[in-house]
Amino acid sequence: MVRSSFIVRNQELIKKLILVVVILIAFAFALDQPLNSKYVNLFTQAAWTTIKISIYAILIGFVIGIVIGLGRISRNFLINGTATVYVEILRGTPLIIQIFFVYFGLPSLGILIDPFSAATLALGLNSGAYQAEIIRGGVQSIPKGQMEAARSSGMSYLQAMRHIILPQGLRLSIPPMTNEYVTVIKDSSLAYTIGVVELTYVSNRLITIYYEPFTTLIFTALIYFTLTTFTSNIMRFVERKARIPGYMESD
Amino acid sequence: MGYPIIETIDLRKSFGDNEVLKGINVKIMPNEVVVIIGASGSGKSTFLRCLNRLNEPDDGDIRFEGYSILGKDVDIDLIRSQMTMVFQNFNLFMHLTAKRNVSLPLRQVKKMSKKDANDAAMAALEKVGLVDKANAYPGQLSGGQQQRVAIARALAMEPKAILFDEPTSALDPELIGEVLDVMKKLANISGMTMIVVTHEMGFARDVADRVLFMDGGVILEEGPPEDMFVKPKYERTRTFLKRVLAEVDAMDPLKPKYDVPESIDGIAVSKDDNR
Repeated sequence: MVRSSFIVRNQELIKKLILVVVILIAFAFALDQPLNSKYVNLFTQAAWTTIKISIYAILIGFVIGIVIGLGRISRNFLINGTATVYVEILRGTPLIIQIFFVYFGLPSLGILIDPFSAATLALGLNSGAYQAEIIRGGVQSIPKGQMEAARSSGMSYLQAMRHIILPQGLRLSIPPMTNEYVTVIKDSSLAYTIGVVELTYVSNRLITIYYEPFTTLIFTALIYFTLTTFTSNIMRFVERKARIPGYMESD
Repeated sequence: MGYPIIETIDLRKSFGDNEVLKGINVKIMPNEVVVIIGASGSGKSTFLRCLNRLNEPDDGDIRFEGYSILGKDVDIDLIRSQMTMVFQNFNLFMHLTAKRNVSLPLRQVKKMSKKDANDAAMAALEKVGLVDKANAYPGQLSGGQQQRVAIARALAMEPKAILFDEPTSALDPELIGEVLDVMKKLANISGMTMIVVTHEMGFARDVADRVLFMDGGVILEEGPPEDMFVKPKYERTRTFLKRVLAEVDAMDPLKPKYDVPESIDGIAVSKDDNR
């Protein structure tokens, strides 16, 4: 009963996934030379690396996003200033420079990191700035009365944030967050510049070896497309689950 | 009669150049129901919000049970938990059920166990007659029901006083009665100390021990409702009361809008006349 209703409710998602898988298989068969079973295996591993970079970066970015996002709302000059500077710098410089800085720059300070960690860290720090702005927006669109009601019953600022404002603000953040997560997945392709063996890297190498750019690139793009579509569908599911009964219902 | 539970001394508050409170001196005794009336902009809501420091007063002093609550070292959260507030727009926590709205502050502030908090929440909801809505979300309740949940939330903390900031102003007329009934019960049966900013003159007349009339940032006149409504001392008070009471009259569907003459040219006029 529960299982069947899950399938019924997610018909759209399942249809899309089947479509994507069918396209992928069709392409895999269409590309005889570079994508025989061995290279499909290579792509699977590379896709896994891309997924890992993205998930870690999204999580790092989320933690940073909450801390910096709340810092941006703080009335404390020092906290607010630090948070603002963080957001402005990370948002105002190219991501690829940030990746290079973490990988090539930090060793000058004695901090040596492997390419995978460097890319993940840089991507996470960068995404943190964007997620902070999303969370700030969500929190600030919660009516002031909610905070006043919480404070007037004796709750502290942090208690009110934690139990009243953030749960509501994060709900409002889900749609823009979807956007951000999809961006992170796509931006993870920049990790190839410092030698992380992920999708774009594998794709590039295969092109230089077999010179089949047309099919290889389409295949690579399709894998990215699968990952992003899957992500946005998960987020839509989360959004539905998090909906408050009787409140802001539009459908 | 003892000591006042809340006392303000020359309380002042400005927003920019606009001085909203120009020195308010009030003493509120335990179990007293004080109704504050006055035109909008007279500072009555600001005064109420200064009492629990949702707005910080600029000057003067507020004493709660004899102790000043304006110092830096005062635990204002503790004071607020003993002087809770009911808002014009209810301000229920939209993502929580009615029961959780009431029990969350109990758990967070009073550190009650989950079971104790739930029991206390249900007891408070029972007092406002909403036990059957315990698991409903605010968005699924009518305005009147939401405000009753808000009163339950304020009540469950077992405060020493409750501040009401125009609790019925945002309600549809047919929903005002249920909220006022709950407040009357609270005053008459529980003997709660209540400070109520309202335009409901009927409530003031029936329940208030004392009515304060605020005008231009000061308390112009105060007294028991029978004195205030029947023989106000100042012209300002009289004008205000006349206007508010006229509005109440205009909303009364049973009162004719104009005088119907008993007869025209000797022919009797009757209501059912369809000629």
